Amino acid sequence: MHKAKQESTHLTMFILGGVVLYFLSGMVDELRVYQGATIAVYVIAISSIILLTGYSGQVSLGHGALMAVGAYAAAVLRIEFNLPIILCFVVAVLAAAIGGALLGAAAARLSGPYLAGTTLALAIGLPSLANQFEVLGGEQGLLFDVGFPPLALGEEFTQYKWFFWIAALAALISMWVVRNLLNSAYGRAWKAGRGNEVAAQLTGINTARSKVLAFTISAGIAGLAGALLAMTIGTVSPSAFPLSLSFAVLTGAVLAGITTLGGVILGAVVLVIIPELADVIAHRLGAAESVTINLPGLIVSGLLILTVLFVPNGPVEQHRARKAKHSALLGGTHKKMQ
Amino acid sequence: MKALNRRKLITASAVLAIVGLASTAIPAQAAEVGVSSTQIKLGMTLPMTGTASLGYNKIPGAAKAYFDYLNANGGINGRKVTLIVKDDRYVPTEAVSKTNELILKDKVMALLAPLGTANVKAVASSVNPARRGVPVLFVNTGFSGFADVKKYPTTYAVLPSYIMEAKIMGEYIKENFAGKKIGLLYQDDDFGTDALAGFKAAGTKFAVTVPYASGSQNAAAAAGWITKFKAAEADVVILFGVSSATSAMLGVAAQLKYAPQWMLGSVGGDATTIKLTGVPAGVLYNAIGFSPVPATTDMKDEYVKFFSDIYAKAVPGSPFDLNVLLGMNTAFMTAQALKAAGINPTRKSLLEAIDSKGATFANSALVPAGYSKTSHVGLTGYWVGKYSPTGDLAPIGGTYVTYTTDSGSGPVVKSTYKRPAMPAKGLPN
Amino acid sequence: MQLLNTLLIGVTAGSIYALMAIAFVLVWRSTRVINFAQAGMALLSTYFGYEAVSRIGSFWVALPVAMIGGALFAALVELILMRLLVKHASSGPIAGVAPIIATLGLLGVIRSVISMIWGGQDLRIVAPISNDGFTINGSTLVFSPLKLLVLVVVAVLLLLLTILFQKTNLGLALRASAHAPEIARLSGVKVDSVRTLGWALAGAAGAVAGLFQTVNGNGNFSPDSIEFSLLLVSGFIAAVIGGLDSLLGAVIGGLFLGITISFVLMYVSSGLFFIAPFIILLLVLFIRPQGIIGVKAGRRA
Repeated sequence: MHKAKQESTHLTMFILGGVVLYFLSGMVDELRVYQGATIAVYVIAISSIILLTGYSGQVSLGHGALMAVGAYAAAVLRIEFNLPIILCFVVAVLAAAIGGALLGAAAARLSGPYLAGTTLALAIGLPSLANQFEVLGGEQGLLFDVGFPPLALGEEFTQYKWFFWIAALAALISMWVVRNLLNSAYGRAWKAGRGNEVAAQLTGINTARSKVLAFTISAGIAGLAGALLAMTIGTVSPSAFPLSLSFAVLTGAVLAGITTLGGVILGAVVLVIIPELADVIAHRLGAAESVTINLPGLIVSGLLILTVLFVPNGPVEQHRARKAKHSALLGGTHKKMQ
Repeated sequence: MKALNRRKLITASAVLAIVGLASTAIPAQAAEVGVSSTQIKLGMTLPMTGTASLGYNKIPGAAKAYFDYLNANGGINGRKVTLIVKDDRYVPTEAVSKTNELILKDKVMALLAPLGTANVKAVASSVNPARRGVPVLFVNTGFSGFADVKKYPTTYAVLPSYIMEAKIMGEYIKENFAGKKIGLLYQDDDFGTDALAGFKAAGTKFAVTVPYASGSQNAAAAAGWITKFKAAEADVVILFGVSSATSAMLGVAAQLKYAPQWMLGSVGGDATTIKLTGVPAGVLYNAIGFSPVPATTDMKDEYVKFFSDIYAKAVPGSPFDLNVLLGMNTAFMTAQALKAAGINPTRKSLLEAIDSKGATFANSALVPAGYSKTSHVGLTGYWVGKYSPTGDLAPIGGTYVTYTTDSGSGPVVKSTYKRPAMPAKGLPN
Repeated sequence: MQLLNTLLIGVTAGSIYALMAIAFVLVWRSTRVINFAQAGMALLSTYFGYEAVSRIGSFWVALPVAMIGGALFAALVELILMRLLVKHASSGPIAGVAPIIATLGLLGVIRSVISMIWGGQDLRIVAPISNDGFTINGSTLVFSPLKLLVLVVVAVLLLLLTILFQKTNLGLALRASAHAPEIARLSGVKVDSVRTLGWALAGAAGAVAGLFQTVNGNGNFSPDSIEFSLLLVSGFIAAVIGGLDSLLGAVIGGLFLGITISFVLMYVSSGLFFIAPFIILLLVLFIRPQGIIGVKAGRRA
């Protein structure tokens, strides 16, 4: 009973979030709308890492490659069979999930640094495969056109607003799905396996299967993010999925607080805002060009280290924990006073 | 007294503010985005950092050097040309978001010389400069597709295409190396597949072809390539790759005393860049090379002399190489396009100016450009030269022999093109 | 001849991977961490070496300068970053992945700072001895005095480190802290200092890898040198092939990887450069997950 109520409150919150985004997209200029779409894409990619790393305890430095799988699947279907765009996104999820299942099967035998290194090698190796098959369009890539916004939305409705709507809707849906997954029996199994594999096995959890499942789902979500990324840039090409993308998504997840979904938007916003912020700082300081162009990289990497060291569970969770502690303390003193 | 003054001040500033508002409102229809009474804003995205940035990150400095010279000499009808440069790290996602910033936030009039086929394609698809009417001048890629007016109505190519280059190389091989065993090193992406298409059109047969993955070109890889060419006993080896591939290949060839007849493609054939990586000049000696613009060491050429003088003053100590020459040449052509676009240039008049007069713009290239209403093809050919004992590309026998062709099935012909003389003081006329 | 040259190409490339793999193993042994910043640290050491060469003019001075610089920097990283990590993030849900993320962050910091200090352009270190191939019966081999030197350096380093680990008290302490830190601590070993030393040794080995990778190429390097991302991945794979815990295994793993890649590129396709290491790694993990040399313990950290 209580749970059902909680579920419906969550659903209401997500719908409310959608309404807020709808009005927001009408108020800001086109550049912000585009950035909004990028943020939505990052939100999805980051939530896939939170599920994988924060919950199941597996680390991936190669989610950029899985995003590429989703993006290419969507683009090839769109070009070769002219499938409706929604089907392209569904197939993107499936294709990346299959890739993830294969990788997950290998990953279940690995852990920690081994998995990190293997996925790193994948991130470097996979995109270059596009040059080996003609259907994938080589270095210059494939066009990926989701089409114009429906006329019913009016003449003033820009392409970027359309991108933003699609991406934001996908982000809301995938966050809702991830949230429910994390709160389900699967989520508890992942958490149990992450904490103590042997203990989890003793309680009857098949940790190997549970890990492969986490990898598969995470990959599917990453595939969706990849297809949406391709939508925002209108093309799919190997260079759109560099190693730095895998690192950026992981960074976003860490900054968001890798063990909770709560900060995911914060993580995505930070990724998009930092280059702009760095620009402003560099100009304020009147720094040399070599400093200016490398400042974003320095800030992101520095934040990554500081977060892991001092707020390992992310700023949102930290704040919540502090508040909980604070109120517990207050409650304690209150009792004494009585 | 004090209070009165303050009130006066407030009234005055309110009046100023209203005037200010009004003045921003009125000329909106008269002026063009990015064009004010004092300046014209242009934007450029290209890799300034990352593995793909080497060499290319000199282009903005080169273009700015020319624009600074232009601005110091009156600009374009009194307007100064400013160039805003953004780093895209050669990642399409970055290219799209940085181009959006240039168009939507910085409000540039036109985009200048964006680099890389994948990036330009992504920008064309997502940002869609064509729909916005934003000119994309002189894209820095040899992909032939950007000459297509229907697909990319506001985009202009400038470099001759890879297909043209391969066709001209094939023709030269037919004339000079008939019956020899030919080897080809190429990048296994579109850069290479375009080359293969060109060689096929020219009917060139290879004894051995060696593809390499972009980014894999290092000394160890080059040792492997050479081993393959040796095994196939190639007499002539064509290096159709980027300069790091050429450098790795020639450097290792020197160590292994491997000396076939080299033939270097223009993308990776800049002598200054190659020699800076430590390749001995002697290895380059007698290699055959191709370029659309004069040799960067040819100080008898009025353009080369003029550009290198400006560049030496603007960026002291930086070598004057092919990227610099091409960057300045692009800036020079842009200046002429802006001048030709009328007293109050608009995006539309700029496009019309290139369509109608672009083919006659003075510039350093030794081959004609093909701009018209129906085609945005850039330069259409190359001259063939040999590298000197000091490792510099120079025309054979002292005179530039040029060939022109197209990206389709058209023939390769010796060109009779006469380059227009440089306008006085290197300013657009 | 083609066969011999393919083998020689693989051996030289492999010996540099081996140096990097040794660095991975040393860090792994001392702190059970894979240092993803290892290639960044090698790059930084190469810049140290460059500064020495351009001031003093001798590669033979630059090499120890780079090694000492690399060792000091690595020790500093262990002292500050790794200890803070142990203090703040050794328990909790992300304890397992925290070191991976922290070293990745460090990689980014090193790269950005290098670009800020030295700029993005190519710098150059010239090889100390000739890299011209030996000529036998009129044909030139892909093997030179310099490449021979690289092999000798790898062998000497392996030998010295083996002696250090097997024959000295310090080595005993190093091994003890790696395998049973608590027991080692109880027997009076300063486990913390020993860990720092492990990192310092790795930093020095990485410096050698960086310098020789540079001079064995055309001598050019920049913050964005692709060579250094390759060093990271290849060194890691070589270390995994070797079992991650064994110095000899690291060397064998490096040579195995170098030779295999060389043959794949020569006889299958030279376009497989980036995907080949991944496939080799997957095959190794499936066929022999404990590595070529390594105890059968699975790939658990």
